[in-house]
Order: sequence, then C-alpha cells, then structure tokens
Amino acid sequence: MTAISEFSIAIQRRVGRQRLRRGILGSIPFIFIIFLWELNTYFVWYEPIEIPPIADVWGAIFFMQSDCPGLVAAFQLHNDCQLSNNIMSSVGRVILAAVVGIPFGIAFGILAGINRTISGYLEPVGIFMNSVSGIAWIPLAIVWFGVGWETTLFIMLNTIFWLIFFNTMMGVRAVPKVLVHGVQTLGGSRFDTIWNVYLPGAMPSIITGMRMSLAFGWRALIAAEMIGGDSGLGFMIFVSAVEFKTEEVFLGVILISLIYLMSDRWLLVPLEKWTIERWGLVWKPT
Amino acid sequence: MSGEAKLIIQDLCHHYPDEYTGQSVHALEGINLQVYENEFVAIVGPSGCGKTTLLNIVAGLLPYREGRAMVDGVEIRGPGPDRGVVFQEHAILPWRTVARNIGHGLELQRVPKEETRRRVQEYIDLVGLTGFENRYPHELSGGMKQRVAVARTLCADPVIMLMDEPFAAVDAQTRITLQDELNRIVMATHKTILFITHSVEEAAFLGDRCIVFSRRPGRIKTEIKIDIPREQRVWKEMGTNPKFTEARDQILHLVRQEVTSDDEH
Ligand SMILES: Nc1ncnc2c1ncn2[C@@H]1O[C@H](COP(=O)(O)OP(=O)(O)OP(=O)(O)O)[C@@H](O)[C@H]1O
Ligand SMILES: [Mg+2]
Repeated sequence: MTAISEFSIAIQRRVGRQRLRRGILGSIPFIFIIFLWELNTYFVWYEPIEIPPIADVWGAIFFMQSDCPGLVAAFQLHNDCQLSNNIMSSVGRVILAAVVGIPFGIAFGILAGINRTISGYLEPVGIFMNSVSGIAWIPLAIVWFGVGWETTLFIMLNTIFWLIFFNTMMGVRAVPKVLVHGVQTLGGSRFDTIWNVYLPGAMPSIITGMRMSLAFGWRALIAAEMIGGDSGLGFMIFVSAVEFKTEEVFLGVILISLIYLMSDRWLLVPLEKWTIERWGLVWKPT
Repeated sequence: MSGEAKLIIQDLCHHYPDEYTGQSVHALEGINLQVYENEFVAIVGPSGCGKTTLLNIVAGLLPYREGRAMVDGVEIRGPGPDRGVVFQEHAILPWRTVARNIGHGLELQRVPKEETRRRVQEYIDLVGLTGFENRYPHELSGGMKQRVAVARTLCADPVIMLMDEPFAAVDAQTRITLQDELNRIVMATHKTILFITHSVEEAAFLGDRCIVFSRRPGRIKTEIKIDIPREQRVWKEMGTNPKFTEARDQILHLVRQEVTSDDEH
C-alpha cells in the first residue's frame, strides 16, 4: 500500500496533479472502448470481419511490413514496406502542404489584415473557397490532375491556405492599434510594425488556424487519398476495405488519429508554450 | 523661457469627418502653443475637448490640414522617433521582455548592441525596475507596466516626450508614487514634456506651465505659470506649498467654469 502511494506521489510530482487528473479522466473513455473491444473478441457479438480482435490489428503491422528488409529500407521507401510507405506518403504530403501553405497563408493574411485593398480582393474569394473547400474539390481535382499526389496536394493546400489566411487576417485585425502606434513613434517602419507587432499579435489566432488546418487538412487528405490517390493511409484503408481486411482498416484509422495527436502534442503545443503562453496571451485555468 | 521652442503649434484646427452622419466633429480651434526646451507643459481640460486629438497630431498619428505644427523647426508629417509617446493604455509589447521593450527604440534605430544594453540598464534602474529585466509585461502590475512605457520612451531619447494621461489607469496610491518618480526623472534627464491630464492636481504638481482648454471645440482658455523649483515638487511637501495650492485652485476654478457652463450650450 505504501509503495503504491509513494509511487503515485512521485508521479504527481513529475507530471503535476492537474495534468495527471486530466490525463486519467481523458483516458477513461478509451479504456472503456478497449475493454468492450476485448469483450467482443471473447463473446463474438460481431464477427472478426466486422470487428477484428486487437491482436489481429497489432499483427497487421507486422504482416504489412513482413517483406520489408529493415528500418533503413523503410526510410528509403523500399517497395515492399507497405505500411511505412503509406504512412510516409501521407505524412510527407501533410508536411509539404503545411510548409507551403502556412507561410503563404500567414503572409497573405497579414497583408489582407492591414490593407483594405488587398482584403477587398481576397476576402470574397476566400469566403467562397472556404465554403466549398476540402473534399468538395476532389472530383474537380481528379479531372484536373488525375489520380495521384497532385490531387491530394491540391486538396490539402486549398484547405490549409485559406484557413491560415482567414485566421491570420482576423488575428491581425484584433491587434490593438495602440501597440502599432507605440512602435511607429519609436521610429519603426512599416516592416517593423509587421514583424514586431502584427505577426506576434496575431499569433494566438495563427496557432488556432494551424490547429484547424492540421485537423481539416488530415481529414481532407484521407478522403482525397481514398478517392483520388494512389498511396497513403487513406488509400490503404480504402483498398483494405475492398479486400475485406478489416484489421488493416482499423490499423489505418488508429494510425491517423495517433499521428494527428502527435503532431499536435509535439509541434503545436510546444509552439504555443514558446509563444503565446510565455507572452501571457492565453487564458489559463488557475 | 530657457532655450528655444522645441514644439511650435500655429493656428491649428481639426475637424473629424463623420462617416455615418456626414457632419464633421469640430475638435480643435485656433491652437497656438509653444513648448520650450526642458519645459514641462501640462494640458488640462474637460473630457472630449480635444486633448488627445492635439497630442495625436503632434505625435504624427493624426494628419492635420489647418494650421502648422513643427518640432525642432521641422513640419510634422507622420510619426517619428523625435517625438516619443506614452499612451494612456499600456502600449508596451506583451511579447517582449521589460529590457527588450525599453531597448526597442534603440533597436529600431540600429544602435549597437553593447550601447543599447548599457542605456537600457540605465533606464531600468532609473524607473526602479532593476531585477525585472527579463520579465514579460503580463507578469507586472499596472504601475510597473507604465514605468516600462515611460522608460521605453525615455530610452529612445526623443526631442519631446508626449504623455496622454499616462497615470489615469492606475490606483490613487500608485499614481502619487509615479508622479513623484516622474518628477525625479525630469530632474535627472531634463526632458521636454507635453503632458495631458484630467487631473488638476497632477497638472499643478508636475507642470512648469499649465494650459487650460475650453470645451469642444478645444481652444486655449488660459495658461498659468507654476513657478516652483523641481526639487520642491515632492508630494510630502507640496500639499502645504502655497504656490501649489494657489495654482491648483486657480486651475480648478477655470476647469469648473468649462464643465458647469454646459447648459449654455
Ligand atoms: N476618430 C474620431 N472620429 C470622430 N470624432 C472623434 C474621433 N476621435 C475623437 N473624436 C471627437 O473629438 C472630440 C475630442 O476628442 P479627444 O479624444 O481629443 O478628447 P479628449 O480631450 O482627449 O477627451 P478625454 O479627456 O475624455 O480623453 C470628442 O468630442 C470626440 O468625440
Ligand atoms: Mg483623451
């Protein structure tokens, strides 16, 4: 008993009481689902082809990678590394679309935020694009680019760019004018006000935009890969479903959410800590 | 007056266009004002009489068409580092530490890093923020934030410092401390200052000269010289200084006239 309580105190010290509490609360639904899933394996309410056992889903990893010569080969996108190739193809597209879409979205968002003429040009088309963005473009993209990476990249870029653009523009407009005036009266140029005021001032909104674009971008990507792609996790899910390899479908779905979760935890949360939390721009529960 | 006129304002008028009604708001009328080197000029007047308008014009943040406004003989066209402003709201940047906020002006003027560091430290010490160099503004109290704002403006070494009700947003006790400190800073730095306030006491306490504005459209009603040496301007002693109480009561009377003559309008 004392060993357990000592252990729990040690953990609380390490991760913090509140965070531990939240972590435990958050994992309860997952534990419940996994528990039901395990029960199904014993009582077979649903056939394995409908809900495969956890062990089968785990086994699918090794089955799909069985011909892969090794880790190095996996990173070199060796032809026989089925699963890792699909993961890297999806992740690669997300990264490519983010690397292109986010800087351009921020740049145009700032310009539209500070300049009425530019926002006059871009806002209506942005509203139009946002309302039909995402998967609605897939059929047209297939007509334009055919089935393949161009279609998925187009879908992603279209989703990411406009989300970042709008969030940045709104963030820039919410920056108090007095901060800009302060820098101007210190001798700051137009560029200085952008770099020192508008960009950091819009940061809370930009991070929200990044979070949204990652979430919507992933969804759009998976859909695009299913319909208009020839590789990636979405493509893998689609093909596996057609071949009734349900365990691979499950694996694909789980991987997608895990990768999304990791990108949020390891990219966005640190970015948030390093910028807006340090600057006191986020509301924190006390 | 000692030295030359740093700020010259001649026949300045201002009308704000109103986009909705089409009628314009007449904010300033025929302002003639000079601020001399090392002088502390305080402006008081009823709310809405155009004090901020005047300050924004001098700061270069508001374009003007009627009349002239010059700093060091140069016509004002847009904001510049020769006119430092301390705003009523906190205008320091939340994403910069105390030291980097205070050194921002020098950074923008491309002053070498070593010199910037030295001068920043000097002003941090002057406003009593030693030890808070690396804090972010959200970790400071309202009074401390305003000290940072004052130090930031001072550190950029403007020809004239413009202050628009800089202590209006802090509590009464802090305000008294900040007023005492500003006095000490003025003694130490010999800055030329145009200071706007609602508070008659503040104007009489700080100003070498106090300009009383009329109601809108703002005109200069009178000006009052307050001939008290800086060294004597400490709150502990000022309360009983006859020159101070006399000036304060006189200004108060003038301002009251403007506020109570409302019904004649
Ligand atoms: N941007 C604007 N557009 C139209 N009218 C304005 C604008 N700014 C100020 N005014 C009007 O001009 C007049 C003077 O405003 P100003 O802000 O200069 O007053 P003030 O003396 O600073 O008042 P306070 O002491 O309350 O700060 C006010 O009646 C105000 O309504
Ligand atoms: Mg005002």
